[in-house]
Amino acid sequence: MKFRFIHSSDLHLGKRFGQFSGDLPAKLREARHAAIGKLAEHARVQGAPTILLAGDTFDTETPAPEVRRQALAEMGHHAPIRWVILPGNHDSLQAAQLWSTLRADAPDNVILALDAQPLDLSSAAVLLPAPCTYRRPGRDLSEWMDGAATVDGTIRIGLAHGAVQSFSEEGNGLDVIAPDRARRAGLSYLALGDWHGGVAVDPRTRYSGTPEPDRFKHGRPGEALLVSIDGASALPDITPLETGSFSWRTLAFDLFDDNDALARMETILPEARMRRQSLVRLVASGRARLETRTALVSAVEHALPDFAWMEFDDQALITECEADDLDAIDRAGALREAADALLAEVSDAARSAEEREIARMALGRLYAYAQKVAA
Amino acid sequence: MKISALRLFNVKRFAGRGVAVEDIGDGVNVLCAANEFGKSTSFEALHALFFQSHSGTPGPVQALRPYSGGNPMVEADIATESGRFRLTKQFYGGRSARVTDIATGHLVAQADQAENFITGLVRGGTTGPAGLLWVRQGVTGIEKRSKSEDESETKVRTSLLQSVQGEVEAVTGGRRMSEIMGATEEALASLVTPTGKTKAGERYATSVEERDRLEAEAHRLDGEVKTLRETLDRRAAAAKRLSELDRAEDRDERQRAIETAQATFDAAKRQGETLRAAEAELRLVKEQRDNADRALRDFRNAMARAADLKPKLDNAKRRRLEALANRDTVSAAAAKAHADFEASEEMEQEARTLLARLDSALRAREAAERLADLEKKLDAAENVRKQIEDDEAALALVKLPEKAVSELEALDVEIAKLTAVAEAGRPSVAIAYEPQAAAVSLDGKPLTHGEARSYDGQAVMEIPGIGVVTLRSSRPAGGDERFRQSEERRRLLLASMGVDDLAAARGRQVEAQRIEGDLRERRARLPLFAPDGLPKLREDVAAYRAATGEVLELKGDPAQIRATHEVAQANRLAARQAWREAGPLQEGAADAVVSAETAFAGLETEWSQVEAEIGPEAARVEREGQMAMRFAELDARLVEQHLVVAQLQEGTADLTSAEATLRRVLSVAEAADREIGRLREEIAGLTAEIRARSEDAVEEKWRESLDALAAARTRVAGYEREVAVLQRLRSALQTARGHARETYLLPVMNELRPLLGLLFDDASITFDEKTLLPHKIVRMGLEEDVDRLSGGMREQLSVLTRLAFARLLAKDGRPAPVILDDALVYSDDDRIEKMFDALHRQAREQQIIVFSCRQRAFQKLGGNVLHMSDWSPDR
Repeated sequence: MKFRFIHSSDLHLGKRFGQFSGDLPAKLREARHAAIGKLAEHARVQGAPTILLAGDTFDTETPAPEVRRQALAEMGHHAPIRWVILPGNHDSLQAAQLWSTLRADAPDNVILALDAQPLDLSSAAVLLPAPCTYRRPGRDLSEWMDGAATVDGTIRIGLAHGAVQSFSEEGNGLDVIAPDRARRAGLSYLALGDWHGGVAVDPRTRYSGTPEPDRFKHGRPGEALLVSIDGASALPDITPLETGSFSWRTLAFDLFDDNDALARMETILPEARMRRQSLVRLVASGRARLETRTALVSAVEHALPDFAWMEFDDQALITECEADDLDAIDRAGALREAADALLAEVSDAARSAEEREIARMALGRLYAYAQKVAA
Repeated sequence: MKISALRLFNVKRFAGRGVAVEDIGDGVNVLCAANEFGKSTSFEALHALFFQSHSGTPGPVQALRPYSGGNPMVEADIATESGRFRLTKQFYGGRSARVTDIATGHLVAQADQAENFITGLVRGGTTGPAGLLWVRQGVTGIEKRSKSEDESETKVRTSLLQSVQGEVEAVTGGRRMSEIMGATEEALASLVTPTGKTKAGERYATSVEERDRLEAEAHRLDGEVKTLRETLDRRAAAAKRLSELDRAEDRDERQRAIETAQATFDAAKRQGETLRAAEAELRLVKEQRDNADRALRDFRNAMARAADLKPKLDNAKRRRLEALANRDTVSAAAAKAHADFEASEEMEQEARTLLARLDSALRAREAAERLADLEKKLDAAENVRKQIEDDEAALALVKLPEKAVSELEALDVEIAKLTAVAEAGRPSVAIAYEPQAAAVSLDGKPLTHGEARSYDGQAVMEIPGIGVVTLRSSRPAGGDERFRQSEERRRLLLASMGVDDLAAARGRQVEAQRIEGDLRERRARLPLFAPDGLPKLREDVAAYRAATGEVLELKGDPAQIRATHEVAQANRLAARQAWREAGPLQEGAADAVVSAETAFAGLETEWSQVEAEIGPEAARVEREGQMAMRFAELDARLVEQHLVVAQLQEGTADLTSAEATLRRVLSVAEAADREIGRLREEIAGLTAEIRARSEDAVEEKWRESLDALAAARTRVAGYEREVAVLQRLRSALQTARGHARETYLLPVMNELRPLLGLLFDDASITFDEKTLLPHKIVRMGLEEDVDRLSGGMREQLSVLTRLAFARLLAKDGRPAPVILDDALVYSDDDRIEKMFDALHRQAREQQIIVFSCRQRAFQKLGGNVLHMSDWSPDR
C-alpha cells in the first residue's frame, strides 16, 4: 500500500523580523503565511492527502491571535488535505494555553499530535509522533518509538523535532535524537524538523527545512519534501518541492585586483527581476585598489534600491594603495602628507586592528572626497 | 610676476577717458597724486582685472562703472617667467578678456582661457602661484572685522589673509584641502557636536536613541515573557496537583474512612453511657452499704459506752455529795475564827488607847520644862543682842575709815616735808645775838639765838632799838601749790573724819578698836544662847508654847497598862493568823465542790446522749440485730454490682481515641477539599492572566524587539565607526596642514624678524596658526595683543608682513608684486622713514608699487616715481 505525504517544518508563523525596517518585515511575514497555501497547492498537485509539519509551526508559545486564527483558517480552507501539527521547541507543549486554544479552534482536517502515541494516518500508515514537552526536553523524545507496537506490515512514519547528534539550530545538543532512530524503531521514514535548511541524515531520515527561509545561514531556497513510500520495508522516494518566495543569499565576492570587478559583481548578483524578492549579503574579500573599492561601494549604493535588502560587507577586503592612488588625492602638499600618514597607519603592525581599519576607511574617504572635489 | 604698466578706460571718474601708468619698474614705484586723482580707482581696476571675471557683473565690477554707464576696460602689462603679456579685460558691453604676448603681439588666450591664464597667475592651481599682495588704505587685516565686512573683503581680496591665502594654501593643500576639510567637517557636523557628543536631531543621535529605546523595550518584554512563562509553569504545576488530589478513588476512600470512624465513634459513645450508668449504680450501693455499716458500728459503740459510763456516773454522784459536806464544815470553822479575831482586835484597841493617853501626858510635861528653859535663853540672847547693837552704834560713831588714819599720817608727813622744804626754800633769817642784845622778833615772834626762821614773801623784823627791817623775798607767799593742796586735803580729811588732828584721830581709832573688841566678844557669846540664830530660837519658843496646850492627868499605872496592851496585841495576832489559815481551806473546799459538780454534770450529759442513741433498753438488742442484717444485704449487693461494672468496662472501646480518629479523618477530607478549591481558583486566575498575555503576543514582540535591537546596535556601531573615521581623517588633514603651515610660517617669521628689527627694537611676533595673522607682539619682554596696537603700528606690521611673504615667494622663485594703496596713513614721520628703509631693502628683489596722496611725506621714499597720463585704447 502506498502512502504519499508532504513533509515540512519550521513555518515559524508570526515571526516578526524586527531587524528590518520599512515594508520588508510585513512582506516577510506575509510570505510565511503564504507558505501554508503553497504547501497545500503542492499536496493537491502531487496527490498527497497529508501534510506533516514537524514542529515550530509557530514562532513563539504565545502567537498573536491573528496569526493563529488565520493560519488555522487557511489550513481549514484546504480540506480534505490533512495537516498534522507536531509541537516543536519554540511551540512546545509547555505552551499549554496555545495548545488548548488550538484544540478548541482547530478545524477537522487539522490533527494535533500532542501525545506520544501511535496515530493512524491511513489503513496503511501509522504516525509515531514525538511532541516536544518542554522548550528544552533534555532527553531523546523519540525513544518511545522503538517499543511502539503496530500491526505488521504497517508503514511506520516517525515525526520528531530536535537535533541529531550535535547538529542543532540553536547550537546545544542536549536533547539529541539518535541518528539511527529510523532503523531502531523500524521506521520507513523519520520526518524531522528544527534545522531550517533541508538535510538528508540518512536514506530514511530527513530534515525538510523551512518552506520559507528566514535567515542567511543555510543558503538554501525554501522547500518542502514530497515523500512517497510503497511499502513498510521500501525505501522512501523523496522529492524536494520549491515553496519559497524570498531568497536569502550570502554571495562571496573575491577580488583579485582585476579591473572588471564591477562587471563581475553584476554577474554574481541575482538578475534584475529577482532582486525584489532577494535579501543579499555581498561579502567581498581579496585585495583591491582604492579606486576599485570606492567604485564598488558606489556600485552597491547604486544597486541597493533593486533589492529587498542588501548589505555589502567589505571588512575582509584588503585595500592596496599605490602611488597613483595617492597622487589622485594630491601630488604634494598637506593632502598628500595626510594621505601618506593614513596609509602608514594602515600597514602599521603595532596598531590595533580596529585602528588600522579606521585608518584604512579614512584613507578611502579622503580618496572619495578628493575625487568629488576634483570633479 | 611683475607689473610693468596699467591702463584704464571708462572706469569710475574717468568716464569716457582713459589713464595709464607706464614704466612701472623693479623696486619701489611710487605714484603720488592728490586726492581725487584716481589712485584708488587704479588700484580697484587692477584688482578687478586680476580677480573678477569679464563676464560677470558683481558688485566690484559694477563699482568700476562710471555714473554715465558705458563699458569699463582695464589693461595691464605683466612680465612672468614665460614672457611678457598684456592682459586686457572689458566689462559689460563688448565684454572680453584677452591675453596678448607683447613681444610677438600674438593673442595667447581669449575669453575663458584668458580668465584661466589670469587666474593661474594669481591663484596658482597646484603648481606655482604668483599672487598679488595687496594692502589697502586703513585696511590692515589685523582688526576684527564683522562678518559682512569679511565677506565683502573676501570678494575684494584685500585683507592680508586673503591676499596671502593663495600662497599659503598652495603649500598647505590649497582650496582642495579646504574643501575636503569642509566636506569632512560637514559630515562630522551632521553626526556629532564639536565636543564629540551625538548631535541632537541628527541620524547618529536618533539611532542611538532608537537603540536605547529598543534595549529598554527588549528588557521590558523579556520580563513580560519570563512572567508569562512562569505563570504557565505555575499553572501546570497547580493543574498537576489538582488532578492528583481530585482523583475519584481517593475521594471515595476518604468518605469511607469518615463513615467507619463515625460508626466506631457512635458505638463507643453508647457503650460509654451504659458503663457510666452501671458505675453510678455501683457508687450508690456502696454508699448505702457504708452507711449501714457505720450505723451498726455506732450503735455498738454506744452500747459499749453506756456500759462503761454507768459506774462512773455513780461514782461521781457520790463524790459530789462528799464535797458538799466538806465545804459546809470548813465554812463553819472559818466563821468561828473570824469572830475570834474580831474580839481580840477590840481588846487590843482599848489597850492602845490607854497607852496613848499615858504617853501624851508625859510628853506635855516635858514640853513645859523645855519651854521655860528656852525662854530663859531667849532673854539672855536678847540682851546680848541689844548690847551688840549699842556697841555697833558706838563704833559707828567712832570708827574711822582705816585708810583715813594712815592717809592722814601720810599727809601730815608730807606736809611736814613740804613745810620743811618750803621752809628750807624760804628765805630764813637767823640771828646770832651778841651778848645782851635785845631780842629781835620776826613778824612779832622773837628770834632766838641761832634760830633760823624762814619767812614768806615779806617779813618784818623788828629790831628793837634799831628799827624795822622789812625782809622781802622774791618767792611769792604761800606759793607752793602742792603744799596748799595737801593742806586742803588734810583739812577735808579731818573734816570728814570729824577730828581735829592726827592725835585725835588716833585716839578715836583706839577707841574704835576697843569697842570692836567688845563687840566681838559679845557676838561670840550670842550663839551660846541661840545656836541656830535668834529668829530660830524665837520660833522654837513659839512652837513649844503652842505644844503645851493641855496638861493631862495620869491615871493608872503605866507599866500595867503597857503590859495589858502587849497581851492584847499578842492575842490579836494569833486570832488573825488562825483566821487567815481558814481562808484557803475554804477555798479548797469550794473548788472541790465545783469540780465534783462539773464531773458529775458532764457524765450525766454523756449518759443521756448515749441513752438517746441506743434507745430504750428493751428494744436495743432487736435494733442491733436489724442493723446487722441490713448491712449484710447491702454488702452482698455491692459485690454484685462490682462484677457488673468490671464486665462492662472490659467491653468498652476507648472513646477518646475513636473521637480523635474521627476528627482526623474529617480534617483530612476538609483539607483536601480546601486545597482542591484553592487550586481551582488559582488555576482560574492564572488562566485568565495567561489568556490576557497570550492575546498580546508578548513573545513575538519580544523576539521582534531583539532582532530590531541587534540591527539598531549594528547601525549605532556603524555611526560610531563613521564618526571615528571622519575624526581620524580630520585629524590627519589638520596635522598635515598645520605641519605645512609651520614649514611655511617659520620662514616667514624669519623674513619678518629683520624687518621688525628695522622698525622696532627688541620685538618679536607670534602668528595665529589658523589665520596666519599676527597675534601677539612681544616688545621688551612685554606681550601685547596685536589688536591693542595703535593704528599706525598695525599698519606698519601689516606692510612688513606682506613684505616678508613677498620675499618668501620671491625666494621660492615665484615673485609677486606688493601693492600699497595709501597704506601708511597712520604712521608718523619717523616711522614712515623707517618703513621706507624697509621697503627699499625689500625692493632689491621685489617689485613694490605704492599709491599715496601724501606727496611730501612720500617724497622721502624715493624710488621710481610714476605718473598718470592720458590714454586711449585705440592704440
